[in-house]
Amino acid sequence: MNRRIAIRNMALILGSAAILPSCLTDKGKPVVQLKKLKVDADQEKVVNNLAETILPKTDTPGAAELGINLFVFKMIDDCYDKEHQADFIKGLCDFADAAKKQLGKSFNEATVAERTAFVNTVDINAKNEKYKDVTKLTAFYKMVKDQTVFGYTTSKYFMTKQIVYELVPGRYNAYFPVKKLAAV
Amino acid sequence: MANLNIDSIKDRTFDAIVIGSGMSGGWAAKEFTDKGLKTLVLERGRDVKHLKDYPTTNLYPWEFPHHGVLPDDVQKANPIVNRCYAFGEDAAHFFVKDAEHPYVQEKPFDWIRGYQTGGKSLLWARQTQRWSEFDFEGPARDGFAVDWPIRYADIAPWYSYVEKFAGISGNRDGLAELPDGEFLPAFPLNAVETFFSNHIKKNYKNRHVISARCAHLSKPNQIHLDQGRGQCQERILCQRGCPFGGYFSANSSTIPWALRSGHCTLRPHSVVESIIYDEKKGKATGVRVIDANTKEAIEYYANVIFVNAAALNSNLILLNSTSHRFPNGLGNDSGTLGKYVAFHNYSAHINAEYDGAKEWTTDGRNPAGGGYMPRFRNVYKQETNFLRGYAAGFSAYRWEQHSSDGIGEDLKKNLVKKDLSGWHVGSHMMGETIPKETNFVALDKSLKDPFGVPQLRISVDYDDNDEKMKKDYVEQMTEMFTSAGFKNIQASTDHRAPGLDIHEMGGVRMGKDPKTSMLDKWHRLHACSNVYVTDGASMTSTGCQNPSLTYMAFTARAVDHAIGEMKKGNI
Repeated sequence: MNRRIAIRNMALILGSAAILPSCLTDKGKPVVQLKKLKVDADQEKVVNNLAETILPKTDTPGAAELGINLFVFKMIDDCYDKEHQADFIKGLCDFADAAKKQLGKSFNEATVAERTAFVNTVDINAKNEKYKDVTKLTAFYKMVKDQTVFGYTTSKYFMTKQIVYELVPGRYNAYFPVKKLAAV
Repeated sequence: MANLNIDSIKDRTFDAIVIGSGMSGGWAAKEFTDKGLKTLVLERGRDVKHLKDYPTTNLYPWEFPHHGVLPDDVQKANPIVNRCYAFGEDAAHFFVKDAEHPYVQEKPFDWIRGYQTGGKSLLWARQTQRWSEFDFEGPARDGFAVDWPIRYADIAPWYSYVEKFAGISGNRDGLAELPDGEFLPAFPLNAVETFFSNHIKKNYKNRHVISARCAHLSKPNQIHLDQGRGQCQERILCQRGCPFGGYFSANSSTIPWALRSGHCTLRPHSVVESIIYDEKKGKATGVRVIDANTKEAIEYYANVIFVNAAALNSNLILLNSTSHRFPNGLGNDSGTLGKYVAFHNYSAHINAEYDGAKEWTTDGRNPAGGGYMPRFRNVYKQETNFLRGYAAGFSAYRWEQHSSDGIGEDLKKNLVKKDLSGWHVGSHMMGETIPKETNFVALDKSLKDPFGVPQLRISVDYDDNDEKMKKDYVEQMTEMFTSAGFKNIQASTDHRAPGLDIHEMGGVRMGKDPKTSMLDKWHRLHACSNVYVTDGASMTSTGCQNPSLTYMAFTARAVDHAIGEMKKGNI
């Protein structure tokens, strides 16, 4: 019995509350504090790099600068059910495996351009309703992208610099010309 | 020791006791203390002070740990309250969690509760419509429940009285089926709501779409400023508690008003176990309270007791108030206590799209939520194969949508690209249900809540009348939407349990005959005339209006009567 199966079986036997990854590599502890998800430092970096690839720093801040990667982990750790969390962990491995196969090196070791090319393909596949994924790669990717977009569009940066969120509108105009809206 | 006891009893004796500090209890507190009566208000939950205890009120979306989303374990631990639309990360602290106050569901019933000062008045949807003569006449005309002992004329001046203080926005629409009130300026209908309103007026007799009337200060009067409230700022974050006091809640209005009088004692963490009945005096003398923190039992005494614990909990208190004289619950000579419970049927919706009015949109937010269609079925006479009818919400909206396609620079561009959607329209039904003996609440014989009070068994369900009405709503709205030129019309019905409407009513109904009802025309127990019930429990039938305004008017009227009786020496 190889080590991976042994760990999986142990998790089944113990009925552990923690979601164990199926590709534990013992590459150190992650920085992010998690209650249910169990990822190692390498896997954490995959998610961080993925979030940064989806939302890179350009002339405006990216995922890392805005802490969106931490938000993604927090949301999946707190707000997703066990089944989705299991898919996340499984899909994270599938994602890492697929990246390595395609790029010839690990996602974390790849250049920004290589990562972008790979994630672009994943993104296109994820949007294609006819695309069949036998792994959990797409499921994982969608969770990360959804929460990256949600975290970004509800971030202080986005809601003050990119759009203006009004906590106190102080008005209701029932008839507002669309023309005027476009001018804003 | 004897003297200490006498002092202690004196300290625990009031002119009036009000059980509950919410929508109706707050009004009882205000009315009694306005007249200088020493009043004790008992609240089973914690104290929530206006402004001070609204921890989320000024938070931006990014300031919530999950940006508004409730953690999975909170949702899983609370399947009942989680079904309520307002149970989110910003307001979850104002809702009773499922495990805090267990009850028995003989049939599925989503009992949504708010145990704190102000109760659910902090959380309500703030829609306020008067009942009409057609509603009070309903049971007698259509032969269900029992005849209401009052008519519109009895309550109309009290509607005016509470509307002026609470602050209700609306138009004087001149409709017999939805009488006008003392209104602040209405929040207007938008382009497509107006279009639909005009279309209905032109093509249907006796059907109307009006600006929804709501308890928001569109333009405060001096009486509102005197309460420390200000103009509604169109935040629509009301469930967090309003920093402006822009909508009516007991917390922002009646309770602080009562406290300022100097005559009011508010005691939070006070679970009323029962009302004490004195067999010799033939009346109630006080209430027995369990302190929620110490679990200690304490008695309080008063000449008059108002039961405003919210509909089902008012039933629970009376059912649990047994004595030699009333072995089946206080005032329950008729055997109707706990029975004839009813609610509102909210289980049908319809959505569609509209191609016109492309040049218009809206700006800011509408606290009224849009339009309101008063009941048009069976108003003047019975005309369908079901009894009574439904009101309908109607609103039209469009929004800035964004695409989250792509990654990198493309994604960033897509997320800020303004793309105004077309107009969408939506409606939901608010159906009257028929009170029946078979829809009831009762005490469980063995299960107790954490305070040693018997758990409530709830057995309430829809019936054939509800199904027919639901079908009619879908048919009629589909027809009206079609004739208005709306496209992609999609009606949907759901199987929500009763209770989720948060309009549970009855169980302690009013009536003329003590043999078939619990309360007289002044909301007094027929058989114990110093106990009044003026919340939803007192409802003989349900109408289809949002009920809170009616409870407020009932309460103010009943307190006026009780004070008159006290002056006459009758209680």
